[in-house]
Amino acid sequence: MAANQSSEWRTVCEKLSLAQELSEVESRKDPENNPFRSKYKARDLLKEIHCSLKKNQIEEEGEADNEADCKCRQMVDEEPENDECGKSCSGDSPAGLRAARLAVVQYYLGLNHIETEELSAGEQHLMNCMKLIDKCTTTRENVSLFIQARNQLGILWAGRDEIEKAQGFLEIAESMYLLYMREDGQPPLDLQDFFVLEGEELSQQEKIRRFEMAYTHTLYYLAQVYKNLQQYERAGQYCHSTLQRQLEYKQFVPLEWAINAATLSQYYITKTRYMEARHCLAAASVIATLAGEIPSEAAAKESDAECEKREELLQKRAEIARCWINYCLNLMQDAKKLLEDNIGELDLDRQEELKRAHRNEEEENEKGRKSTILFGSSDTFDSICSLEEKVSSMLPLDFEEARSIFLVGQSYVVQAKEYFAMDGHVTDHIEILQDHSALFKVLAFFEQDLERRCKMHKRRVDMLEPVCKDLNAQYYLLICRQLQFELAETYYEMMDMKLAVADKQDQPDVHTIKKFNHLCSSSMNYYQMFLDSIRSPEGKFSEKLEDDLLRPALVAKFRVARLQSKFISSNLATQLENLTHSLESYNFVVQYCEENPEAKKAVETELELSIEMVSLLPLKINRIGSKIASCN
Amino acid sequence: MASASVKVAVRVRPFNSREMGKESKCIIQMSGNTTRIINPKQPKESKSFNFDYSYWSHTTPEDVNFACQKQVYKDIGEEMLLHAFEGYNVCIFAYGQTGAGKSYTMMGKQEKDQEGIIPLLCEDLFTKITDNNDNSMSYSVEVSYMEIYCERVRDLLNPKNKGNLRVREHPLMGPYVEDLSKLAVTSYNDIQDLMDSGNKARTVAATNMNETSSRSHAVFNIIFTQKRHDSDTDNTSEKVSKISLVDLAGSERADSTGAKGTRLKEGANINKSLTTLGKVISALAENKKKKKVESFIPYRDSVLTWLLRENLGGNSRTAMVAALSPADINYDETLSTLRYADRAKQIRCNAVINEDPNNRLVRELKEEVARLKDLLYSQGLGDIIESESPVMHFKLFPLRFKCCKESYPMSKANILCTYIIRNQWVRQL
Repeated sequence: MAANQSSEWRTVCEKLSLAQELSEVESRKDPENNPFRSKYKARDLLKEIHCSLKKNQIEEEGEADNEADCKCRQMVDEEPENDECGKSCSGDSPAGLRAARLAVVQYYLGLNHIETEELSAGEQHLMNCMKLIDKCTTTRENVSLFIQARNQLGILWAGRDEIEKAQGFLEIAESMYLLYMREDGQPPLDLQDFFVLEGEELSQQEKIRRFEMAYTHTLYYLAQVYKNLQQYERAGQYCHSTLQRQLEYKQFVPLEWAINAATLSQYYITKTRYMEARHCLAAASVIATLAGEIPSEAAAKESDAECEKREELLQKRAEIARCWINYCLNLMQDAKKLLEDNIGELDLDRQEELKRAHRNEEEENEKGRKSTILFGSSDTFDSICSLEEKVSSMLPLDFEEARSIFLVGQSYVVQAKEYFAMDGHVTDHIEILQDHSALFKVLAFFEQDLERRCKMHKRRVDMLEPVCKDLNAQYYLLICRQLQFELAETYYEMMDMKLAVADKQDQPDVHTIKKFNHLCSSSMNYYQMFLDSIRSPEGKFSEKLEDDLLRPALVAKFRVARLQSKFISSNLATQLENLTHSLESYNFVVQYCEENPEAKKAVETELELSIEMVSLLPLKINRIGSKIASCN
Repeated sequence: MASASVKVAVRVRPFNSREMGKESKCIIQMSGNTTRIINPKQPKESKSFNFDYSYWSHTTPEDVNFACQKQVYKDIGEEMLLHAFEGYNVCIFAYGQTGAGKSYTMMGKQEKDQEGIIPLLCEDLFTKITDNNDNSMSYSVEVSYMEIYCERVRDLLNPKNKGNLRVREHPLMGPYVEDLSKLAVTSYNDIQDLMDSGNKARTVAATNMNETSSRSHAVFNIIFTQKRHDSDTDNTSEKVSKISLVDLAGSERADSTGAKGTRLKEGANINKSLTTLGKVISALAENKKKKKVESFIPYRDSVLTWLLRENLGGNSRTAMVAALSPADINYDETLSTLRYADRAKQIRCNAVINEDPNNRLVRELKEEVARLKDLLYSQGLGDIIESESPVMHFKLFPLRFKCCKESYPMSKANILCTYIIRNQWVRQL
């Protein structure tokens, strides 16, 4: 392009780069009362460029008119398929290039208007841009522009709540990329390539980077469109692809990428896709290490920057550890759901059945899925794989399998607690403890030996009880309630187990009875603490329970009723007293539901049984009464 | 008990001079607790919202419907102060577009009848303390004042402390800001002086660093301690409550400052920059409609949400005042403020109590019920259960047992005991 080297052309190129500079760098310093000053200046420059291009075009087209006929014939001869789509010229012909160059300016003008909140005008320029290049076939000259213009139109229409329209533009951009890569695949021209002087062109590598970047954005915008259309499955896929491409083209900030991948793992967990979840987590852990060494405590004391860096690295790593904990926990809990019978015990027949059938099938299944989700460039791939091998992504079917997942989870608990210490991070620390307790709880499900199982529950009590006692309910009311409830249930569970153990004995000894009563009263105390937290400062029990407390409160009362009747005492009077309390508690449930009929639905079974007990317990009480009387 | 969710009020101010100059039309109507907004482009289209209070302050005190500063304080401030004396943490926050009248409602002007909630509440607090005649009671009041800008916390009572203060949690003292100065005050004048100097620090900092106050949140905390000394037992008991008064950044800046209070649903907008990918992914992970699966989202809430967490979910009382501009030119902003306020009514942190399934217990009890019924029928008493209401039973029986209990000689109990224990293990009867 001889004309390009003229001084006139030089001015055009300089104007464009000045406009870019104004729009992207200068504009950040614009004063608050004139926030778009530099953008407006850039707009004026773009308009001038547009004018001179237009002028040139008319001149050049005049000269070219004579040749036009033969050129067109030639083109048709060479590439007959172009005619089919009704394109008037090829993207790489002089006319196509002229059109593309004008279209680039229209694109920049479009962006400029959108950024200055003149959306309709911006849309108009983008549509002009699109029309100009739509006249030509898509070639490496205009394919990048084709995609970027549609990206922008997608954003624009999504902002107007016309998601389907946005989807249309973005999906065209997506298929154009795929088509181009299939048919041509050479590094395409970047927008900037249209306005550079000879010798200042972008390198091939930079061209590829920018083109791939544009497409990564297309996928990212599509992810958001699908999210807004509530097509979560697809949105997840597109987020995954976005992450894959960021890694592949090295367009990422390690810590940010790692956190995003870890978050994506949580999405997969909700979909019970553990192989994918594990891959995301392994990649997150590996990529996080690329963020550099954690500054030492000494270095952090020296400078604020080092201190902040240390804090950030430690925090993010601890957060990734928490994502791992959640992975292990959910994997085990899902297995439990599959293996338990109707009272929550391990169903041995089912276990056998699953062990035989599931395995091979699943593994095959996962191999098929795996290839599409892999993360990692050559340098990180091995580390990601070796991290993956440390924990299974299959549902554990027996104690040994469950235990190995438990141990991994537990090691991440230790890691996460290091940063999220009680002092300074109360809520996070306790959440981690709750996860740890939940890990023990689900592990206990797989344990067949009652004594050992009981010990696992004891571990839960040991980790939660001190925290529960130390916490100020004025600030952490919700956590306190959760802890009280969990402790009550854990003691209840232990009581049940002690009972089962004792049942096997012929004659339970005094020690066992004492232990049993202790577990009963501990469980009851925590239920009672939970119930007391619902009282007003004056100690009045709320007449109407809140929705989210309704069921827990009535269940707590129901369980208290049961516990009160479970106490073992040799003293008939004590027995009478316990049973009378039990009756009162059952009656509380019945009366509450009578006064608040809307509560019935939340506690149907419990209510039904409470009604029965309220009518039948007196009989039992009566019998003890007569025994006492007869002894008189 | 934190049964009450957030109490929400909206308040519309008079036209300002700029709006008068433009001959703006008023697009807000109020009747009772309902606020209606009219779309100036389609005057037939209007939207209504119900709040705990809708304050009409668009006109002058001559208007019978006019809500003055005193009235707003009486409805909201007085109640909150009462809760503080009961020992609750309380929080009042103001929300709305810059210039919609947030500061007027919260601070007001230093003229008669023009003072806002904060000065009136402080004045009332000290009046109540001085009026107290109970010698066993003693009180102390401390204040802190901070600003949150771009997720950084700055101490307004010690502006020299320029660094970013860290937000932390203590198991007994709750969430706190590390190294934030806390100053003891003994009168309303002290508070006023501190607030003034803090406000100055706020604006000075703003011009130095090219930040304007509308972008930052200001949180004024009053830590109120009541001590009761029991002279008989020589015990001292203490009640500490925190009163937080929060002036939120202008709602139009909500995005840039993360002022959202709680995360609210975003529209169909597409985020351009890949740096927000995380947000999109968290939205996916949080969407668990079908299955109740817990996911852990490794994103910190904004500092403000974090500090207010206890107010939204803990043992505390919270009120919000949303300030509205009456002018047609502000339609979009005002509508979005109303929507925010509408959602704030439901803001609460839920205590998710994960309970174990009751199945085993249910089975046990069903067995017991069956056993007891068998027993009844075998004694020919089956008709009793069918004819009488359960509650009646409950009322009849205990009386009889009381008599038994008292007349029961202990010595004979021992004879029975082995038998009963065995029975209890085996049959629970």
